[in-house]
Amino acid sequence: MELTPLLLCAATAAAIDICSLVLILCAYRERSTGKKRWNKISSGMELVEQGHTHRLLCDEILIGRHASADIRLPEMSVSRYHALLTVADGVWTITDLGSKSGVFVNGVQIKRKKLRENDVISIGSRRLTLRKRRDVK
Amino acid sequence: MKSIRRCQRVITLFIMLFLIGMAVLVVRIDRDAPFYMMHSEDHELGIVYDRSGDVLFDGTGTGEYEENHFLDVGNLIGDDKGQMENTLIAQNIDLLNNYSFSEGLIREGGKAAIYTTLDHYANRAVYNAYAGADGCACAYNYKTGELLVCASVPSIDVTKGYGNIAEMKSGTLISKAMYGTVPGSTQKIPTLITALELMGTEKLFSKSYSCSGKYVNAYGDEIVCHYSSGHGMQNIQQAIENSCNPFFAQLVADPDMPLEGIKRIYRTLGYSVNDDEPQYIDINGIQCETASTVLTDTDEFNTQWGCIGQGETLVSPVQMMMWESAIANGTGKMTMPYLIDRASDTYGDVSVLGSTRFSKQLFSEDTASAVRQILLTNGADHYAVSVPGYTLAVKSGTAQVLEGAEENALLTGFIVDDRHPIAFCVLLENKYGTPVTAEQILKTMLDSLCS
Amino acid sequence: MSNPFSYLFSCIFVIAAHAVMLFNVFSSGSYESSSDAFILAAAVIGLDIAYSFVMLFFRQHTFTVNFMLLLIINMSNIFQSCFGGVSLDVKHYVTGIAALVSCQIGFLLCRSHKRIQNEKKIVYICMILVMIAIVTLTGSRSMWVNIGNFSIQPSEFLKPLLVLACATSITEQQNKVRVWKFYIVRENVILFIMTAAICLLQWWCRDLGSIPTFAAIYAAGFLLRICYPKAKFSKKTLIAAAIAVFVIACVGVYFAPDYVKARLFTDIWSDTSGGGYQQSRALIAIAEGGWFGKGPGKGFLCDIFAHENDIVFASISEEWGLLTALMTVLALLIMISAPLFDPPRSYYHGTLAAGVCAAFTVQMALNIFGSCNLIPFTGVTIPFISAGGSSMVTSGLMTGMLTAAQSPEFHRIPGKKRGANV
Repeated sequence: MELTPLLLCAATAAAIDICSLVLILCAYRERSTGKKRWNKISSGMELVEQGHTHRLLCDEILIGRHASADIRLPEMSVSRYHALLTVADGVWTITDLGSKSGVFVNGVQIKRKKLRENDVISIGSRRLTLRKRRDVK
Repeated sequence: MKSIRRCQRVITLFIMLFLIGMAVLVVRIDRDAPFYMMHSEDHELGIVYDRSGDVLFDGTGTGEYEENHFLDVGNLIGDDKGQMENTLIAQNIDLLNNYSFSEGLIREGGKAAIYTTLDHYANRAVYNAYAGADGCACAYNYKTGELLVCASVPSIDVTKGYGNIAEMKSGTLISKAMYGTVPGSTQKIPTLITALELMGTEKLFSKSYSCSGKYVNAYGDEIVCHYSSGHGMQNIQQAIENSCNPFFAQLVADPDMPLEGIKRIYRTLGYSVNDDEPQYIDINGIQCETASTVLTDTDEFNTQWGCIGQGETLVSPVQMMMWESAIANGTGKMTMPYLIDRASDTYGDVSVLGSTRFSKQLFSEDTASAVRQILLTNGADHYAVSVPGYTLAVKSGTAQVLEGAEENALLTGFIVDDRHPIAFCVLLENKYGTPVTAEQILKTMLDSLCS
Repeated sequence: MSNPFSYLFSCIFVIAAHAVMLFNVFSSGSYESSSDAFILAAAVIGLDIAYSFVMLFFRQHTFTVNFMLLLIINMSNIFQSCFGGVSLDVKHYVTGIAALVSCQIGFLLCRSHKRIQNEKKIVYICMILVMIAIVTLTGSRSMWVNIGNFSIQPSEFLKPLLVLACATSITEQQNKVRVWKFYIVRENVILFIMTAAICLLQWWCRDLGSIPTFAAIYAAGFLLRICYPKAKFSKKTLIAAAIAVFVIACVGVYFAPDYVKARLFTDIWSDTSGGGYQQSRALIAIAEGGWFGKGPGKGFLCDIFAHENDIVFASISEEWGLLTALMTVLALLIMISAPLFDPPRSYYHGTLAAGVCAAFTVQMALNIFGSCNLIPFTGVTIPFISAGGSSMVTSGLMTGMLTAAQSPEFHRIPGKKRGANV
């Protein structure tokens, strides 16, 4: 086989490959942008519980005892599917999913409530605080 | 979060499954591409050589050769046209393929080649020795298994194409040595082996039967001898030398030769007895028939007639030649013949290497040495004049074919020679219709192989 | 735009990749006059630049998927234009542009987190309309609708609709209704009925090749639904579903019409001029091409029926080499794996991405493995690489959903009380 067409074909394949690679690198780089954007949407909030932090990385967060819950609180006082945190326009909302022991925000039992910074959520015997993330620039 | 990670996991699952499939595909394409290529219209084949570098087939179509250069090996080597299936090239076309997946089709300078064990000079000499008669002759090195001669007449020059296929004689497109033929008295060798295995040397040599020109068996059927005045009382050595049919009919009918024993040893030798599955010897992909016969009752005509080499019995010349190797080696194990000494791929690297292999034990070493002695004596007594200059062990045969209208001459045996350990089988069809004799063909073959 | 450097680099490299391919076409392609090659080059590079600018008008956070799409569509343009001699394949070029447009339409439709979820009735209505269209408009149980010179395959449009239906029904998992003794999620039932209806319809249309695609989309949706918050992940459910699928597949094979069976159990090499014609030609072409190909426009496969869609992988392999063909597939894979690099932020978008991924991988698998005799041969297209208007447009729509997952919009929906009826 002649060398020129071989080189050309190899070059074509390489070019496609390199281009894909660059695009993937771009995507990977823009991950941080995506995170920043998410911080803006979610107001950069996180849930804190006695030195333990739960990050809020998507728009629907399930709190419960079940293994598939996003924030898992392995206590018998917590229902398997206890509460659902949702976000819209930077405002987090908590919804009781029909739990046995109920959801309390700042000591008041609620069915559904918009949360503000430093609200304390009581789920079973656990206390979770919603606050601004400390490491956000 | 977990839920999003689950989404990603599902995506990963689909992509991984696809990638696995892709990997399988690429491996398969890389492995099978030469096979795919064989179906392409413009594939490029290499060259088949004989043991001394003479060309037996030229797939490149560039070389120039004298008239009928390929004629003697045409129906053994074959070509890629698809007319002949049971040939070296048809069965090993992938070895001859001047193609590799990474380099694509190599039009010029591809080094794919098959180096065969054949001796083109001897093969052509044998082919010419038939001088218009039909038949086939094969010979191989019984120590290594290298197939030296495998000529089948008539044959075809593949470079001339198949334009006159309608006018070709039957048997032109096959190598007859690979197909069963009526063995005639050469069948007495397997029967002798069977008797030795069942009785042992001493007992067999102590037996003698009388021949009065014919033998009437228990059912009243006649087994006639070719010597109508009869051979009188004979032992086994004399019976082999006389090739006496009544002797062997009586031997088969002997109570020391039980039917089950005969069947067992025949099957070990490679016969498909009665309704057994036909068996084949594989010679580099070429299917070679072994032998078949019908054994029902040792007192009955057809069984006796079959053990003498007529009737339903068919043995391929290659199989006869291989039995000779088990006798000549004295081990009772056949040397398996092979045709491809080595093959080189398109870069010239050796891809396949032929090697010596032996069959399982067919019969005991005692039997082998006894048969060897009987055949050597026969050769010394009867063939010293017609095939001079060799320590020859041989058994002749005359086979009635076409309902007795024609008789074929057969010779099978080996020569004792450390430099040329050759086992052979020669078949001359219609021996009364042609001036040549099987002995002349054998002499030509041995002379050209040992010169 | 959040990252001008990424944008610039992507632009340069996409154009560079196409330039290298075009250079290949120039130097080793087979063309009658060089103006053909120039027209192709101008068209490809022009589209690159034009779309790069148009992209800026759509507010997206990241353009990776868009650039991948541009890369793939113009690669496909070059491939398709080179089959059997270089000259711009105008029809494919136009459908390519249509695919880019539909990608942006898909993005605009699906970017918002809640909009389509609230209007999901429209999705179902669309699906029903398309199905009715298939039943009434296609002649004699075929899958094509002929309008003038154009043939539209309406069943293609069911793919993005089914992805949407899966994604929109995902958040309804908590709305369980008690029917007799069972708690049932209405959306799941509707979705199942829809999928079953589609599969039956495809069966009726003798377009069995696309059933696996729909099944895969539904399976992706199903897998995610049984993991959705408060939908218990049950191994029993999963095993039961797997067994059901297996049984349905077996029954399907048993009752399959003869022409399907013939395809399932055929040895292509014993019938290279009949049933195995396309596949054996495809494999021979791949073998002839080798790793590095024969050169653009120099293949023989362009004379074979359906070389530009059903066995397009082999066509590319033959002319450009298996390496390039694999790279093309890799580019497609990278595009659908974008959600792995930049994760979606809502379940809705995640499901969209998974559904699109399922549809694309299954289509690619069916096409490539089918044409290479690993699995039965079906007439499914590779997204964007195969020629075909309907396929290009719907694949564009689905890529738009991927883009939407990358650049989502989170809006508050006033007056909507989610989870209120729990």
